[in-house]
Amino acid sequence: VRFQLSPPQRPLQASAVLRRVSDEQKKEPLSSSSQQQFDSQPTDHQPEQEPQGPHPSYTGQGGQESEDYESEEQLQHRILTAALEFVPEHGWTAEAIAEGAKTLGLSGAAAGMFQSNGSQLVLHFVSQCNTKLSELLEQEQKLVQQGEAEKKPTDQFLRDAVEARLRMVIPYIEKWPQAVSILLLPQNIPSSLSLLTSMIDDIWHYAGDQSTDINWYTRRAVLTGIYNTTELVMMQDSSPDFEDTWRFLENRVADAMKMGNTANQVQSTGEALVQGLMGAAVTVSNVETCRAVR
Amino acid sequence: VNQVFESVAKKYDVMNDSMTLGVHRLWKDILVRKMNPSPGTLLLDVAGGTGDIAFRFINYVRSVRQRQLQQRLKHHQNLSWQEIANSYQEDKRNSLGDSQVVVCDINKEMLKVGKEKAQDLGYSEGLSWVLGNAEELPFDDDMFDVYTIAFGIRNVTRIDLALQEAYRVLKPGGRFLCLEFSQVSNPLLSRLYDLYSFQVIPVLGEVIAGDWKSYQYLVESIRRFPPQEEFKAMIEDAGFFKVDYQNLNSGIVAIHSGFKL
Repeated sequence: VRFQLSPPQRPLQASAVLRRVSDEQKKEPLSSSSQQQFDSQPTDHQPEQEPQGPHPSYTGQGGQESEDYESEEQLQHRILTAALEFVPEHGWTAEAIAEGAKTLGLSGAAAGMFQSNGSQLVLHFVSQCNTKLSELLEQEQKLVQQGEAEKKPTDQFLRDAVEARLRMVIPYIEKWPQAVSILLLPQNIPSSLSLLTSMIDDIWHYAGDQSTDINWYTRRAVLTGIYNTTELVMMQDSSPDFEDTWRFLENRVADAMKMGNTANQVQSTGEALVQGLMGAAVTVSNVETCRAVR
Repeated sequence: VNQVFESVAKKYDVMNDSMTLGVHRLWKDILVRKMNPSPGTLLLDVAGGTGDIAFRFINYVRSVRQRQLQQRLKHHQNLSWQEIANSYQEDKRNSLGDSQVVVCDINKEMLKVGKEKAQDLGYSEGLSWVLGNAEELPFDDDMFDVYTIAFGIRNVTRIDLALQEAYRVLKPGGRFLCLEFSQVSNPLLSRLYDLYSFQVIPVLGEVIAGDWKSYQYLVESIRRFPPQEEFKAMIEDAGFFKVDYQNLNSGIVAIHSGFKL
C-alpha cells in the first residue's frame, strides 16, 4: 500500500516548473516560463530526455503521465521532499512547505496546494522512510542470496530493521512529537495506519515469515507494538546516540522471541495431542475392522 | 460597466453590507484565510477598488509575522538583553515582512475611495494603488505570488483574457483565487435567493445609493456568470493546474483556486 496524494491528471505541459524530466536535471532550479526546452549546463547538452529517472514515485504506475513531462503529483512530491529540509526549523507546517517550494524556484503560494495542517508533509515523509527501509532490506537480502553476507537470526534481523527505520526519524526528532500527533488525527488515521501495517509486513516478509495461519496476525501485532513503544521511548531519550532506545528495543525483541517459543510449544503440544487422538481413532477403527472380518 | 462603478463607488461598501447583510465580510475573511499568505508574499488584488481584500491580507500577514517573531524570541532566550532589544529594532521596521499588495482597478473613483479608506484605517505601508484593466494588466510577467479577484470577474467582458493575464503575471507556483457569486445548487434556497435578488436588491439600491439600474445590472450579471464547473474549466483552459472550488453558503458564492505550475 502506498500513500497517494491525488489521482494524477493531465500532464503539465507549457509550464515553467514542470519540465522534461531527466536524471541529472532533477535537482536544478527552474528558469522562466518562456523556456520549453530545459538546458542545465551548457557543457552538458542532453537533446533527448530519457523517461522518468529514479525518482521515487508513490503512485501505482511508474508515475509518468506522458513520456517526458512531469505530472502534478510528481511535482507535489518534489515540493514535499524539498520541504523536509525546513521541518527542523518550522515544524510540519505550511511554512515549511512554502520554504520547500521556494527552493525549487516556485512561489511560496504553491504551499496552498497542500492541506494547511501539514498532514501531507508528514505522510509523505513516512512513506518515503518506508520505501527506503524496503530498499535497504532488499539489498541485504540480495547480499545474503549472493552469499556475501550471513543470514541473520530473526531477533537480530528485527532489531536491525526497526533500528534502521527509527534512525531515519532522528534528524527530525525535535518535531517528531508534532508529527505523531498529526498522524493520529482522525482524518489521517486510515493513511497512517496502512503505512504502518505495510511497513511491518515488509519487515516480516524480509525476515522470512512464511506463515499463513494465526501466527501471521500475532507476529504483526507483536512487531507493531515493539515499533510503537520503541518510537515513544526514542522521543524522550537523551542518551548519546540513543543507546537507551536500542537497549529497550533489544529487550522487547528478546521478550517477543521468548513469548513466540512458548506459543510454538503450545501449538506443537496441541498438534501432538491431535495426532495422538487421530492415532487412537485409527487404531480403534482397525481393531473394529479386524474384529468384523474375523 | 465603468459608469456603473463610477456612480456606485462612494456607496459601494454600504451597499455591500446591506445587500449581503454583512456576510460579504465573512466571505472575504474566508478567502484570505484560504490564501494563508506568509510574510514576503506579493499580492495582486484586481478589481479590488475599495481595498477590502488588501486590508485583510495586511492584517493576516501582520499577525503571522508577529507569531514568527515571537517564535524567534523563544529560541533567543539565551541572548543578552541588549541583543534582544536590537532585534526588536530590526523587526519593527519589518512588521509586514516585506509583504506587499498591489490593488488594481479599472475605475479611478473606486481607487480613490480605497486610498481614503486606507488612510482612515491607518494602513500606510505595503499598499500600492494602480489603475488598470483586468484584460490587459500593466504588469510584467511572473511578478506576483497571489492574484485575487473578489466579485470583479463577472464584470469583465472577456473573462478568458482576464484569466490569461492572471496566468501571465503570476510567478511559477503562484496562486489564482477568485471569489464570486455562483449558482446555488439547492432548489429551495435558489428560489428564495432569486426572490431576494430581484425584489429586494434593486430597491435597496434605489433607497441607499439612489441607483436602481446599477443594482439591477448587478443582479443580472450574477445570473449570467457561468456556474462553478464551467468556470473551473475556463480557468483550466488558461493554463492553471489543481483547479478547485469551494462553495460558500451552498453556492451563493464560490471560491475558485488554481496554480500556475
